Amino acid sequence: MSRPAPRKPEYHKINKDLFVLTYGALVAQLCKDYEKDEDVNAYLDKMGYGIGTRLVEDFLARSCVGRCHSYSEITDIIAQVAFKMYLGITPSVTCNNSSRNEFSLILDKNPLVEFVEELPAGRSSLCYCNLLCGIIRGALEMVHLAADVTFLQDRLKGDSVTEIGITFLKKLDEKKYRRKK
Amino acid sequence: MAVCVAVIAKENYPLYIRSVPTENELKFHYMVHTSLDVVDEKISAMGKALVDQRELYLGLLYPTEDYKVYGYVTNSKVKFVMVVDSSNTALRDNEIRSMFRKLHNSYTDVMCNPFYNPGDRIQSRQRVEGQVSSLNWTVSLCRAFDSMVTSMMIQVC
Repeated sequence: MSRPAPRKPEYHKINKDLFVLTYGALVAQLCKDYEKDEDVNAYLDKMGYGIGTRLVEDFLARSCVGRCHSYSEITDIIAQVAFKMYLGITPSVTCNNSSRNEFSLILDKNPLVEFVEELPAGRSSLCYCNLLCGIIRGALEMVHLAADVTFLQDRLKGDSVTEIGITFLKKLDEKKYRRKK
Repeated sequence: MAVCVAVIAKENYPLYIRSVPTENELKFHYMVHTSLDVVDEKISAMGKALVDQRELYLGLLYPTEDYKVYGYVTNSKVKFVMVVDSSNTALRDNEIRSMFRKLHNSYTDVMCNPFYNPGDRIQSRQRVEGQVSSLNWTVSLCRAFDSMVTSMMIQVC
């Protein structure tokens, strides 16, 4: 019995506006449910974590990247392959410290905030795209790297660019690894 | 050049009114208000014909000696009313149509803002700080809409 030829992974497309509006509705609903910005940010991060742990499998299967040997390689792959694949943008990478474990992704164009001009009154510390931070954190954890991912600058808050900071903390021990909730 | 631009909700209350600062701005508000009757008349007149053929641009609603009032209605029954100076004879129908189309596009962008609730007044935060009127406007976020309307008001024809 012959095996069917392996198919190229199919990319199903949806309308970008639908995706952006869905994300906006998600954030607006969270804002209605929780009064404090910190709570909304925490929940966005948590949701992103759940997405990231699953998304990384899809990413590794589709992109066939090899093993990385340094944190800067990993950050480059996140910026140039992962962001390109899922959001269609390529942020630029800078290294923030000499011990080479703190990096920044600078996004000049963020499709998620296309329809949002500014944060509503009373929500000045809301990190609108905190889902992205959670996704990166969850994905890195599934490849046994603990990292701290936050927004360093945000255009919606008045800064000139949007900057995501990734701080690699340590390699998680594979044997003792337990999936965090 | 538009001297007054208004966006009216389905329930016939204003979502946005902006006029060129003159002495008696209230007269523009009255003109927009009276034009609503004409808009309703045009919609119902067209409604008797096939609904598919109904056009969004309503054309000249009514002329006064100084001004002309044009109307445009969307499929969700949101009306745009524009008051134009009569002395600008150079403004042709096509230009008015394109102004309304730009207004409609900006309005859709405001609607797509996840923090904007449909039915809220359209007001950008910066305007609230320097506003002249004493109306209590709920703040919605639409700086781009505001600047688009400003560009329509100061455009030279």
